[in-house]
Amino acid sequence: MKYSKMELPSRADHLWRYTPWKRIHPSTVETVPDAVPFRWSINEGGSLSDGMPRVMTDGDIARVFLSELGQTGVSLSVDGTTPVVHVHAVASGHVSVGHLHIECNNDVTVIVHLSGEAEWAGLHVTGTAQSNVRASIGFINELSANSKLLRCEDWTVQRDATLEMASLSIGGFRCKNDIRTRLIAAGGSLTQAISIHGRDQRHVDHHIEIHHDVGHTNSDLHIHAACNDESHSISTGLLTIAESANQSDAGQVFKNLLLSERSRAEAIPELEVLADEVSANHGAASSPVNPEQMHYLMSRGIGEEEATALIIEGFMQDGFTKLHSKALVDEMRTRLTVHLECELMR
Amino acid sequence: MGVTGVSEILRIENLHVSVDETPIIKGLTLTINRGEIHVIMGRNGAGKSTLASVLMGHPAYEITEGTIHYLSQPLEELTVFERARAGMFLSFQYPVVIPGVQVGTFLKKSVQSVRDEPIKGRAFRKELNEAMNTLDMNKSVLSRYVNDGFSGGEKKRLEILQMLMLNPKLALLDETDSGLDIDALRIVAKGINQVAPEAGCLIITHYQRLLDHVKPTYVHVMIDGQILLTGGPELALELEEKGYDWIDAAPEA
Repeated sequence: MKYSKMELPSRADHLWRYTPWKRIHPSTVETVPDAVPFRWSINEGGSLSDGMPRVMTDGDIARVFLSELGQTGVSLSVDGTTPVVHVHAVASGHVSVGHLHIECNNDVTVIVHLSGEAEWAGLHVTGTAQSNVRASIGFINELSANSKLLRCEDWTVQRDATLEMASLSIGGFRCKNDIRTRLIAAGGSLTQAISIHGRDQRHVDHHIEIHHDVGHTNSDLHIHAACNDESHSISTGLLTIAESANQSDAGQVFKNLLLSERSRAEAIPELEVLADEVSANHGAASSPVNPEQMHYLMSRGIGEEEATALIIEGFMQDGFTKLHSKALVDEMRTRLTVHLECELMR
Repeated sequence: MGVTGVSEILRIENLHVSVDETPIIKGLTLTINRGEIHVIMGRNGAGKSTLASVLMGHPAYEITEGTIHYLSQPLEELTVFERARAGMFLSFQYPVVIPGVQVGTFLKKSVQSVRDEPIKGRAFRKELNEAMNTLDMNKSVLSRYVNDGFSGGEKKRLEILQMLMLNPKLALLDETDSGLDIDALRIVAKGINQVAPEAGCLIITHYQRLLDHVKPTYVHVMIDGQILLTGGPELALELEEKGYDWIDAAPEA
């Protein structure tokens, strides 16, 4: 379907309630503007090749829009010579777009860094964790503080594969993230951890869909959002367990740390469970900084500002502790620490 | 007990403390000098932990009357972290979990803050290794998150490790011996004895057994927000045998 023929989504649509399509679109909402392709690079341990498999848009307006903005993309091949492969995407110009496909045929750890000064960046990542593979994928949004981001990801997890995804959201002004994963064969496992740091008037929207299409699959989602100033974080989760997907085990935990009176955070987990013999749970909590934690840290000589920073850092790191890939956790932790140290000096 | 002199660490005079307008401490006077180990015993709800918390500056407690001087300075002039930097240390009865913050990072930040100087990595690690060896602690604890998933004994050991690293002038230990097995108790006592000669110590406990390993200078009995009786180490043995009822009854007798 062409974007021009699609009906614009209304705010009654769960997906677009908190970040309306027209507010994330880069220009006049009926148009598809010219876009500058991302500048891609890779450190070592793999290669990027032009062209990518045809992207299934699934009739979703954001995916259709991204596919029309940029007709080509890059595919990542990993050669296994380094423990962690860093892929860098730089967005520049008024509107910038990139597509990345990651086919995980062997155990891999890949970190995708998105940076740049583009006013608007669109990213579509697709990937598959093939049978019996352990894939650890990190994404770090370190765009300019004035950038808008539309990011879609589509993943499938094959038989006995483990997909671990970590996402650190520290850049951009208004960000809409829509990440969907399908567990399509028995033994598939997904662990997904997202940490968000809101400051100034940053608006960060994460919509996470996890679909258990078959039984004997596991998923575990943790979203931790620390919101300061007038920032706003929205996390919506859609967990579906198909009728035949018995013995599935799924959990979603959304935690928000509110650091100022004017910061806001929404956490809306949603479950559609059609099978009978499953374990599915969800929880959401929002709270300010725990005064007992502050007192404990300050009783050890740590000043108030530094104690607050330590609690924020710990809160954001805590989501990543659910991941088993040490390399992935270490990479995310290091980047987060650097970010928060820079914040302290602001 | 003397109230003046260069060795005075803490002087509390006629202290009254309330929580949410409920009086908890009702006229407590106590002086701790350097090298002295004071033990406070008493029933649950007597105000022992309130005393420790108010000394460390917990915001929930309000001093309604009386004075506290720490190293001859009015304590109320110091914020919580300034108290720590001035050498006060509280081993918490219920140490707080700080998710996502590694013990090693926390210890280094804490030591740096209290000493107010950058610490070289190698020197810090050497010092930390020595303290952990003293307490028979596994190094793997350094990469765990502060008190997260710790057993009761592990939490108390971590408190004592912090005390050794911070080398306080006044150590307040709030039921640090509770829930410890005999081996852990001996190790915790070792830590206290290491700090005690150069510091003032205030140990809050329910049990005499810690005092098999730590020799107190004074044992105080706190009842209903006041110290009603003070004695030597033998008083703890007497309390273990007779309980507290005889002290309640004593003024009337």
